[in-house]
Amino acid sequence: MKTKATAISTALAALAVLCAMFATSASAAPAWKFEGKSLEGSEVILGAAIDSQLTIPGMTTKCANFLYKVTIKNEAGTGKGEVTELPLYECTTNSEVCSVGKIGAEKLPWASKLTTVSSSPYIIIEGIKVGIIYTGEECAVDGTLVTVTGTAGGLISNVTETATFDAASFTATGTSLKAMSTKIEWKGVFPTEAFEWKREQAISVS
Amino acid sequence: MQKHKARVVATALLAVALAALGLAGTAQAKLTGAFTRFAQCPYKTADVRKCLHSVTNSGEVVLGKKKVPIEKAVTLQGGAGAVDEATEFSKFFAATNGVTLSKTPQNVPGGLLGIVPDASSPFLVKLLIKFFLENSLTGVSSTLELAKAATDIKVSEFHLVGEEQVALEMPIKVRLENPFLGKNCYVGSATNPIIWKLTTGTTSPPGPNKPISGSGGEGEFLEGGRIIELKNSKLVDNSWSAPQATGCGGILSFLVTPIINSQLGTTTAGNNTAILVNTVSTAAKSAVNKNDEENP
Repeated sequence: MKTKATAISTALAALAVLCAMFATSASAAPAWKFEGKSLEGSEVILGAAIDSQLTIPGMTTKCANFLYKVTIKNEAGTGKGEVTELPLYECTTNSEVCSVGKIGAEKLPWASKLTTVSSSPYIIIEGIKVGIIYTGEECAVDGTLVTVTGTAGGLISNVTETATFDAASFTATGTSLKAMSTKIEWKGVFPTEAFEWKREQAISVS
Repeated sequence: MQKHKARVVATALLAVALAALGLAGTAQAKLTGAFTRFAQCPYKTADVRKCLHSVTNSGEVVLGKKKVPIEKAVTLQGGAGAVDEATEFSKFFAATNGVTLSKTPQNVPGGLLGIVPDASSPFLVKLLIKFFLENSLTGVSSTLELAKAATDIKVSEFHLVGEEQVALEMPIKVRLENPFLGKNCYVGSATNPIIWKLTTGTTSPPGPNKPISGSGGEGEFLEGGRIIELKNSKLVDNSWSAPQATGCGGILSFLVTPIINSQLGTTTAGNNTAILVNTVSTAAKSAVNKNDEENP
């Protein structure tokens, strides 16, 4: 009799765990909101990175002007989007001998989606491809095209209205970027300010 | 007086000899730090643009039925010229000491008789087979050698880091060594070389081989961006064909060579594989030159 009761309670516990798991999955689909209301139609986020740099072990590349244009919308209650433009200007490296000859985003638009990890909202950008040609007579990769590819996950803050990409956000979202088949580090803070119909309205993700 | 004169002459000669040694020392490259690996790069040659140094630390070469693991490091070094815009390949320049591809003998498992114990065999069985079949008399070593001049090597840095197409094309021959095989037992020759077209991408070989993938490796800039080092760069090719062995057994070649060929089995394309796991370093010639000039 006691065994039966134990079996039932074990089954109930397992069911509870399963329910909890499904509950987590269900919450992993946040939407774009403006003034607390779910976005209908589409909107454009246009901005410039507050700070952004990418590091291939041994060398860091920074761009003084890292601009971006992202079209956002909600599909079946989930925030989606596309990075449509990404002009990069005044890029430099921390190496005395390597300069950035050319840099540019390739194969735009890049798809994006919102997700929730451990109850925090994240934006995932997929299909990233940035080509960099370094120059410099003494630079080891002078004239060689270095291509950055992969997927990036950034933590969205509803308080500061920014998306922050760093090692922690990449780990949390299980994303990574690679250059020369090497995992590289990309750090950056990107304001999520609307530029079209919802301009100056408070943007949030939940 | 005579004795004193002789002493003066001897001292003068000694001084001249020392000065000559000193000058010889000045002419030799004195690279420092991570640049020392490029000591044999022809960076004083006008057409050289980059220095290349690659050490194969592991991998394997499968030639027909014979699989030879790479257990001892093999070095490929020299210089690379300007990139041909159309092919994206650079011409290769030989190492200054003449050792463009180091001749490193690798042990052929199973030796002359080709008896290799099963992986599940007891340790003692493996040890005994190794002792009896892989000793100095019955053991066979296999050495990779360049079959043609270093200028016949082609490299593409774009393809190496881009993990696509051929990154390194190299004409080679394989020397099989053993007291019975003599000194001229080769698979491949200058006129009929094995052509390796190694890639860090994925191969598309004829059957029975299946596609295999390489890898560009993990890159790191050294010396403030002057050197790029790719660790675990995996270059692969399993589409190459090899001619039959020749010259094995000295005067008994007519008897021994056919035995060696039957031991190797079919060596047509689709039956051979080369997997080379390397640490590849490249640097701009000007950076190496500058390091040399800064350290006379």
